[in-house]
Amino acid sequence: MKRSIHLAAFLAALAPFAQAEEFKWAVTTDPQTMDPHAVNSAPVLGFLNNVYEGLVRRGKDMSVEPALATSWEPIGNGEGWRFNLREGVTFHDGSEFTAEDVLFSYQRASDEVSDTRSWFAPVSDVVMVDDYTVDFMTTAPNPIFPGSIANWMIMDSGWAEANNTTLPDKENGNYASLNTNGTGAFRVTSREPGLRTVLEPFENWWGEAEHNITRAELTPIQNPATALAALLSGDVDFINPVPIQDVARLNENSDIDVIQGIEARVIMLGFPHEADTLKYSSETNDANPFADVRVRQAVAHAINVPAILQTIMRGNAEPVSQLVSPAMQGYVSELEARPEYNPDRARELLAEAGYSDGFSFGLKCPNNRYLNDEAVCQAITGMLAQVGVTATLDAMPVQNYWPELRADNYDMYLLGWSPGTFDAEHPIRFLAATPNEEKRVGSWNFGGYSNARVDELLPMIQSEIDAASRQAMIDETTKILQDEMAYVPMYVQPLVWGTRSNIELTQRPDNFFILRWVTVN
Amino acid sequence: MSDFPIPVKPKSRLRIALDSDLFYTFKRSPVAMVSAAVVLVLVLSAVFAPLIAPTNPFNPASLNLMNGFTPPMTPNAFTGESFFMGTDDQGRDVFSTILYGMRISLFVGVAAVFFAMVLGITLGLISGYVGGWTETIIMRTADVQLTFPSILVAMLIFGIAKGVTPVEYRDQMAIWVLILAIGLSDWVQFARVVRGATLVEKNKEYVQAARLIGRTPTAIMLRHILPNVLSPVLVIATISLALAIIAEATLSFLGVGAPPTQPSLGTLIRIGQGFLFSGEWWILLFPAITLLALALSVNLLGDWLRDALNPRLR
Amino acid sequence: MLAYIIRRAGQSALVLLIVGLVAFAMFRFVGDPIDNMLGQERTAEDIERLRAQLGLDQPFVVQYYKFLEGAVQGNFGVSYRQGRPVAEILLERAPATLELAMVSGVLAILFGIALGVFTAIRRDGWLANVIMSASLIGVSLPTFLIGILLIYLFSVELGWLPSFGRGETVDLGGWSTGFLTESGLKALILPSITLGLYQMTLIMRLVRSEMLEVLRQDYIRFARARGLRDRAVNFRHALKNTMVPVITVIGLQLGAIIAFAIITETVFQWPGVGLLFINAIQFVDIPVMAAYLMLISVMFVGINLLVDILYFFIDPRLRADRSGGH
Repeated sequence: MKRSIHLAAFLAALAPFAQAEEFKWAVTTDPQTMDPHAVNSAPVLGFLNNVYEGLVRRGKDMSVEPALATSWEPIGNGEGWRFNLREGVTFHDGSEFTAEDVLFSYQRASDEVSDTRSWFAPVSDVVMVDDYTVDFMTTAPNPIFPGSIANWMIMDSGWAEANNTTLPDKENGNYASLNTNGTGAFRVTSREPGLRTVLEPFENWWGEAEHNITRAELTPIQNPATALAALLSGDVDFINPVPIQDVARLNENSDIDVIQGIEARVIMLGFPHEADTLKYSSETNDANPFADVRVRQAVAHAINVPAILQTIMRGNAEPVSQLVSPAMQGYVSELEARPEYNPDRARELLAEAGYSDGFSFGLKCPNNRYLNDEAVCQAITGMLAQVGVTATLDAMPVQNYWPELRADNYDMYLLGWSPGTFDAEHPIRFLAATPNEEKRVGSWNFGGYSNARVDELLPMIQSEIDAASRQAMIDETTKILQDEMAYVPMYVQPLVWGTRSNIELTQRPDNFFILRWVTVN
Repeated sequence: MSDFPIPVKPKSRLRIALDSDLFYTFKRSPVAMVSAAVVLVLVLSAVFAPLIAPTNPFNPASLNLMNGFTPPMTPNAFTGESFFMGTDDQGRDVFSTILYGMRISLFVGVAAVFFAMVLGITLGLISGYVGGWTETIIMRTADVQLTFPSILVAMLIFGIAKGVTPVEYRDQMAIWVLILAIGLSDWVQFARVVRGATLVEKNKEYVQAARLIGRTPTAIMLRHILPNVLSPVLVIATISLALAIIAEATLSFLGVGAPPTQPSLGTLIRIGQGFLFSGEWWILLFPAITLLALALSVNLLGDWLRDALNPRLR
Repeated sequence: MLAYIIRRAGQSALVLLIVGLVAFAMFRFVGDPIDNMLGQERTAEDIERLRAQLGLDQPFVVQYYKFLEGAVQGNFGVSYRQGRPVAEILLERAPATLELAMVSGVLAILFGIALGVFTAIRRDGWLANVIMSASLIGVSLPTFLIGILLIYLFSVELGWLPSFGRGETVDLGGWSTGFLTESGLKALILPSITLGLYQMTLIMRLVRSEMLEVLRQDYIRFARARGLRDRAVNFRHALKNTMVPVITVIGLQLGAIIAFAIITETVFQWPGVGLLFINAIQFVDIPVMAAYLMLISVMFVGINLLVDILYFFIDPRLRADRSGGH
């Protein structure tokens, strides 16, 4: 009896939502926390971009546009940046947004325990000028600073203090890892980690709503085949990513739209520049052939990138010649030519280097990190074998992969790199600079590639204000890296999203899914 | 001593069955005959794969990526080559890959079951015959073993083996680790059956007599008790073989199976399931049918064997 | 007898300790949790600091001791991935797995016994033979493939059933149940078939062979000779006597169902503890993995102990001597 009353009340409560524009979407990985400063990872930041906002944000074409700051300008001769804040903005809990929240969020996000603190490495001081003006002083001129903090999200200082979450806690979690209070267009109304997260539009949002969603639900689905089945059967409206092999079939399906774009992530091969010997060779135990630039060039010529893109990527990826994709700032279009596929040239180069009989080595590869990573490595193994260099492929889940690379257990490895700043400086800093803990550079340069000129150019690129001279330095660095074949960049990973055809949305190259650009028809 | 009257040891059940009825029932069971024929054909084609298969899919240098995703019996758009069962994403001939993959699956299955059988029989005999603390330890170990689902055991062994094998042996390692992992998760049922039977046989007159004349425990266990437990062991072994082949496929789904450069049937199915919705049905269908035919025939044989070796059911 | 029970309980505790040890040793090889907890721009210094914070830099024995110390107090630590107490997460996920296991178990028992009895009584009938052979198809394909094929057929092609998840659930004092909503019940169908298929085949075959065994016993022959109707003989006498071994095996299979739920839950994105465990492996969430393995072990060892004690009461001669299937 009692239950039927409840049921009636429940149905009555549902009635107003009968015309609700509900939107369900599935991703592979659930955002592991709701704390915008705890983990600097794409699933977390991408999701929280719908809930929290930064001073600036990126638009549909990745351009930097005003968000919580309405305008910004350099201070003096590159001493820092001044941000003028938007007035009349409220957080989801109703409290007002002021400069104090900016200062608090800076302290929170730049603390030692925060994963986002590297964004603030160039910052020497933050000054609250008045309630709606904040100055960021930098140690050196920093032309790209506003864009580099587009994912830095502002949290309400009062809310954080009241809930005892003034610092993120990666280890034990705290209030902010499960609850949110942003200024964004959507607020989280229910959060069940690993199961579902429900969002509803924030009625007091300062911006003009472009979407017509009344309720949105995020579910993680791990198995790609299951996710695709969910999209095909209409159980979800959107999935990311769509397995690349299914694109052609889905394009024929009138219920489904496939949205493709170029991601920022460049897939490349890395070498053990510093090693004295190969680790996994059956015969070459006293030398490291990859230390010879000719061998690295031979590798580049031996790999038939167009064939990989044609078959494994099904024509959905673009070849690339440098560490950033053409969509990034600082891409050098004059150097866009890749080493051509030429197995004869590869054999010649190997012979010149003294390896006319080839050699054997170990190729390390993740099998759940990048699109079709294992299949790509398999194909590379075959192509290298055809010029006499035989690789033993060891493909493993990514949780085992990084420790292996850190322990230098590889002769060659596959790596994908997506620059968080959308600028060519980023991969130079992380992949090309000689590893140096103190200067915080080269932290992903596993092979220990080192070039004095590149190390010299990096700080200059970082502080050059003049766009033309900055680009000239990036050009020079890119040329060095290409000539020395420090890495073999192969292709830019595609973005493949799938939606039901009654959904309209916008795909951003950073693979962030922005809910406020979604329309349900 | 020699004139001590030793009771005539009864013929073992298996022996009797082989001598008289087993072959007879086999001939009268069409299911058993068809299954045996299927198993025979599959095993032979796996063993002679290098002679039958048109290509060697395990040699990466021989693959042409541009042959990828060729439908069965249709010329490839770029290379013009045609394949009986089509090709997979790497341009491997599916038919050849199945033959080679079946070799791996069968090898893993047979070796794992053999390992489990030897281990299980040994421990079962010892714990049944010796008893006491030895028995307690063995049977409690069996409990620990059962506690860990076989999938987890395999993952554990895989991880540890990866940590301890020298780096240059790791790629050959995968297969042996699979064998060890599946074998270790399977020995318990052999041990339990053998131990049970040993407990019964141990007190029978002929065993006591053998003991009286001074036969060593090892000899008694091997010569007198073992033959009497062979028929249930044979049944378990057959069914375990099918289970082991399936287990290898399941492990492959969890990412701890045979390496993709030397795929087993299970790895092929794992790869193929990614193409279920994309229209390349042949990459999944042919390996799946082969696995089904293999496992089903072995299971049916095991089933028939169980009934045939249990005279009371006839 | 009390001494026997105490001894077995002691052994069980030892088993748990060993399981814990083995499980803990395994974690050193599943990967490094640090990479999942830090972003792209981490430095070697960040890595070291977090490692120290988590206590991962301490010797293995110390880590194991700390884990045990917490575990006996019911404290399994905090999930690296979710930053929440593991016990809380497990309690939240347990209903999904238990409901799935229960439905598949019930399906397996009902169909298993019914088909087993049928195939035993009609042992030479063609239908019985077809059922016997067909049932083997289900165990001759890997579970994950069966699951995916079911999704393909019933969700994508026919559109009858949901492709993933549990549907709507109702919260009953901390227990989220899918039994009370239509979508919850629909969502149960495919996963429980996938999970229960193997057990159903097993039970069916066991019931059949036990029935055949019993049916040729003297008392059944006498019963028939006395003129009892077939139905009465088959069900009142034969089936009843078949039940003891069948119940034992069902008890043992209960644990197996929960363990094998790992695969089914992954394929159907069923939000239970199995999926949680697979996620934990992926993200090297050591506290969750440890707690899950301990939970499964406690359950298996508990069932084992219970069965042993029951046997002791039923027939002291059979003490600890059971050779039931696995």
